[in-house]
Amino acid sequence: MKIKVNGKDKTIDVSSLTIAGLLKTDNVANPEQVSVQLNGEFVDRQKFADTRLKDGDAVDFLYFMGGGE
Amino acid sequence: MKERKFSTRAVHTKFLKEDPHGALHMPVYENVTFEFKTAEELELAFLGRKPGHMYSRISNPTVENFELRLKELTNAAAVMALSSGMAAISNLILAIAGSGDNIVTSKHLFGNTFSLFEKTLKDWGLETRYCDLTDTKRIAKLVDSKTRAIFFETITNPQMEVVDVKALAKIAKESGILLVADTTLTPPYLFDSREFGVDVEVLSSTKYISGGATSVGGLIIDNGTYNWSKNRKLASDAKKYGPFTLLNRLRREVYRNIGACMSAHTAFLQSIGLETLALRIDASCANTLAVAKALEKLGHIRSVNYPGLASSPYYKLAKRQFGAKPGGLLTFDLASKKECFKFMNALKLIRRATNLNDNRTLILHPASTIFCEYDAKLKKEMGVRETMLRLAVGIEDNADLIDDIKQALGGL
Repeated sequence: MKIKVNGKDKTIDVSSLTIAGLLKTDNVANPEQVSVQLNGEFVDRQKFADTRLKDGDAVDFLYFMGGGE
Repeated sequence: MKERKFSTRAVHTKFLKEDPHGALHMPVYENVTFEFKTAEELELAFLGRKPGHMYSRISNPTVENFELRLKELTNAAAVMALSSGMAAISNLILAIAGSGDNIVTSKHLFGNTFSLFEKTLKDWGLETRYCDLTDTKRIAKLVDSKTRAIFFETITNPQMEVVDVKALAKIAKESGILLVADTTLTPPYLFDSREFGVDVEVLSSTKYISGGATSVGGLIIDNGTYNWSKNRKLASDAKKYGPFTLLNRLRREVYRNIGACMSAHTAFLQSIGLETLALRIDASCANTLAVAKALEKLGHIRSVNYPGLASSPYYKLAKRQFGAKPGGLLTFDLASKKECFKFMNALKLIRRATNLNDNRTLILHPASTIFCEYDAKLKKEMGVRETMLRLAVGIEDNADLIDDIKQALGGL
């Protein structure tokens, strides 16, 4: 499956992946703080675990509060 | 898991990142800038693609911790901490409205808020439309396509007026207009703004939250309930940022550019204050009711105004909205300004100072202080009488406060 993450092409080796799964596999910093856009629409945090990605999706991670690393 | 109660959450909110030394209080990051390993990481942070503090005017770890604690306590979508309550109001209005727009409110406002609307922001083209917010039919007539917010104080200072928040929320929702509450007199713990339909709270955290007047600060609490596409100024942002539209506009423009940030030291003090907020509010509210009841029985007192008194016209409404604790502020009237001054000067325990929700009880003559810049006609429209004294009741033993009041009245 090919998707775009923060504007960059990414090939995912698994057949099925949720947003919550992508946050883990991508080692996204401060996952409890990140806001996620899927194809330009914000995804409710409660739906991260149920929202499955499909080929061609564009995912953007945004931070509004800083957070430190 | 069952949601923990207010004070438990206030004390036990976890840090975003584990402290390397296991500190239980968030350290004070009294620091301006933060280093990144590479230029690419720095770019990503500026684009909002990577979490990281860049400059303390925009965000700071200690301030962020304070914001996150408030967010946890209020279940808000976003919380921003600022340098004062007035900074919270001005940043919010600058973010949501522009020249030619209007806001609807009452003249029964804190004097500096009225001055901000009527003087400072008026010069930049903002129109403020005033009405009696308890008259909902009148409000609906003032609202038009350029109205960006209905703004009100949950308990007005010093008029002690209480508006029906659900009735205001109904009008705001029907008109697609943002409902903004100044909750300074009823901060989180006393009032659940989301439950009553408020979209955004602004408040002075200098008061109750600071822990007894330790520091000046303010908060914007966005409940995440407003559809920002209905605001002309933010409609295009709303397509991109959805529920985070206000937060984005503040953090990446208005708050950043105005520079009214909270300092790390203030955030540290106010985080400690937050931990004892419920205890101090309980003590202050109990004292206020006891003092108000005592005042009603004393000679020389013409009237006592506190929403927690059964004699208040707002008693039932206040009980519905704030439970049995309608804040720590009351007013009472003597015969004249001269008598008010004589009474104030005779007090031995209660302090003559302008603030409220200090740990100490403070007294003020509003007409000659906060409202001194307004003429007699305007003061009358604002509900500020020359005979009125404002008492902000602290956490002392209330018998001592009542004794002090009695001895001062004895000299009149």
